[in-house]
Amino acid sequence: METSDSECFESADEEFYPESNNKKPQKQESIASVVEQIEELKVVATTTTVEEQPTKEIKNKTVKTNKLGVKVNKVSPPTETKEIPETINKNEETIPEQSKDEINLWDDDDDWEPVEQETKSIPTNLGWSSWGNWDVTSLLNTASAGVTTITNHVSHGLTSVLESGIGAPDPEELARINSSEKPKFEDGNHSEPINLSFGLSNFVSGVTHITKLVETTGNKVVKGGLDTLETIGKKTMEVLQEGDPGFKKKRAFLKINSNKPVLSHILREAKEKAEVENKLLEERQFARKANYESLFDDHQGLVHLEALEMLSKQCDIKLQSLLESLTGDDLIELQETMNQIEELCELVDDDDELEDTSQMKEKLDGAVSEMHINISYEKLLNTWSEAEDWLRNINLAICSEVELHEQAIDTLAQLTALAVERFHKIGELLLVKEHRSTADEADSLVQLTVTVTTLISHVATKLADKFNEKLTTSTYKDEINKLITNIYFESANSISYIKNAFQLLIPVLQVGAI
Amino acid sequence: MVEPIFDYQFRLILIGDSTVGKSSLLKYFTDGKFAELSDPTVGVDFFARLIEVKDGTRVKLQLWDTAGQERFRSITKSYYRNSVGALLVYDICNRASFEHIPLWMAEAKRHIEPHRPVFALVGCKLDLVSNGGHREVSKEEAKVFADQNGLYHVETSARKGTNVEEAFRSVTQEVYNRIQTGEYKVEDGWDGIKTGFTRPNGMDFNLIEAEPAKSTCC
Repeated sequence: METSDSECFESADEEFYPESNNKKPQKQESIASVVEQIEELKVVATTTTVEEQPTKEIKNKTVKTNKLGVKVNKVSPPTETKEIPETINKNEETIPEQSKDEINLWDDDDDWEPVEQETKSIPTNLGWSSWGNWDVTSLLNTASAGVTTITNHVSHGLTSVLESGIGAPDPEELARINSSEKPKFEDGNHSEPINLSFGLSNFVSGVTHITKLVETTGNKVVKGGLDTLETIGKKTMEVLQEGDPGFKKKRAFLKINSNKPVLSHILREAKEKAEVENKLLEERQFARKANYESLFDDHQGLVHLEALEMLSKQCDIKLQSLLESLTGDDLIELQETMNQIEELCELVDDDDELEDTSQMKEKLDGAVSEMHINISYEKLLNTWSEAEDWLRNINLAICSEVELHEQAIDTLAQLTALAVERFHKIGELLLVKEHRSTADEADSLVQLTVTVTTLISHVATKLADKFNEKLTTSTYKDEINKLITNIYFESANSISYIKNAFQLLIPVLQVGAI
Repeated sequence: MVEPIFDYQFRLILIGDSTVGKSSLLKYFTDGKFAELSDPTVGVDFFARLIEVKDGTRVKLQLWDTAGQERFRSITKSYYRNSVGALLVYDICNRASFEHIPLWMAEAKRHIEPHRPVFALVGCKLDLVSNGGHREVSKEEAKVFADQNGLYHVETSARKGTNVEEAFRSVTQEVYNRIQTGEYKVEDGWDGIKTGFTRPNGMDFNLIEAEPAKSTCC
């Protein structure tokens, strides 16, 4: 509950105060004065019905407040004022994640009680049902109705926060405006309502007329009013949220569709999307498409490996159930056989580099022939010689690092996929072979593994050599070195896939020995 | 090679007697080609194709082409487990291949358990019938069997390309429908259905970001 509430709150907060986060630092100084103003206005608001007195009060008190605010910044402030800014600071900062204790804090704060009472009555007075329709006309309303009652100001302040996103004004300016503009505000009272009512009846729909009307109403009035009112509005929103995080109840009451896309979310999504795309683009400069795993999958290496695993597992199950059924000497004998086969399959690490293709072909053919199954390594050898041809004929002046890398990784992935596929086929063929000769088979497989992994190392070295050639002429030395490292990394990957495939064949050999 | 982006991967398996035309069916479906001659399948081979279901969801089909030969029977059964769909393939001009269908189906059910795959009954070599060949399995007869067992039935020709697409499409759509109804779910440790690379239209940024990052490590 708490989590979801606070989440709701967050989104509501972003929705209503799109700029509040950015404005925070500047606002800090003004908080003291702003708070005071709010305090005053609150007090005023409680006496809503009075029309003229409140404005006067505002004028007087704001000036006073401003002084206090300045004091807060410079000298050690009176305890009373000091306390308030702190509370507010806290509130300001914690707005996005207001939690249960924050709410408590609010509840405990006696100073705010009047506001709470007041705000409860606001919704009914202010025609909240038109919330969704706030637009430029609201400015007009601000101009006309705004002058009449403070309560209305509160509502329009809200609107300006909601709609126009007018940030909090500069503290000093705010204070100045408040003190200097308010009288005019009041003065304008006498003539403007007439104009406005005229304007209202005739030009409500036309935006240009509205602008005009707003102009005639007097920019200063609106501005001065709005700035103050915005602050009140913000505060009011906060208070409104009290006990109703995320405006859940109030939204439900107002039938605001919370599922409707919120602009800030849409924008954030758009931004994130753009960022991701940019990042992808950046990375693609040097690693585009050259994803070893997906290329290995494209060449069906992964699925052959998986099928080989299934085969291996099936053999393992068979062996295990056999071992469980045996006792005494039979069991020991079988276990010994199993161990012998495993020993036969131990790979010795020797880094003999193979010199040329013909030797490679002979080695592979020789190894395969001992198994007496119908399998050929022709396709793997062909792929390799194609890669060799490509490397021989490549024009490094034309071929970019990216292309070279792509091709290199693809070559490694394809060779590895073919090697794994061959091992899978060998496994299948051995299992259906009538007369097994486990020792020979093991020997063949070891030879095949060593030969193929040596081939991979050989290819990787050749590929890296090309990059080294490129390195001498290119300006992207860092990038190329990264690519070389990547080639070696993926070739090590290739070799471990192949060795892994070979290990999976051991149970296949063992099954043949029983 | 552009990496295909897909929403789901379904694993389908093709089973049926030797030489009924499983590999040819797959070759046509994935390659659009028909090979006059082809070697018998050893163990299992793989094909892949991307298709779209009705709502535009992209599905990568990973197709397991099993050997029909009796000698591979013990091996191929270990490949059944992770399939979400099974195409029971017979030769319209080979009575025995049709009569073995119930056996193939029982075998598949047994090995795919506890999962319940989508089955389809696919008759092959329709072109031979219209080309003076002797039909040994009537369409009605196959349809009756299919209806009894709740299978989709179609007669195809890999040579002409008749209904090949439909055979796979219907199975794919049915699997997808069952995902929609919640009957099938993506499960760890079962590869019948997997989720694929999601298109960059929403919240799955992490997934997309993680992909290229892999290749740049070290």
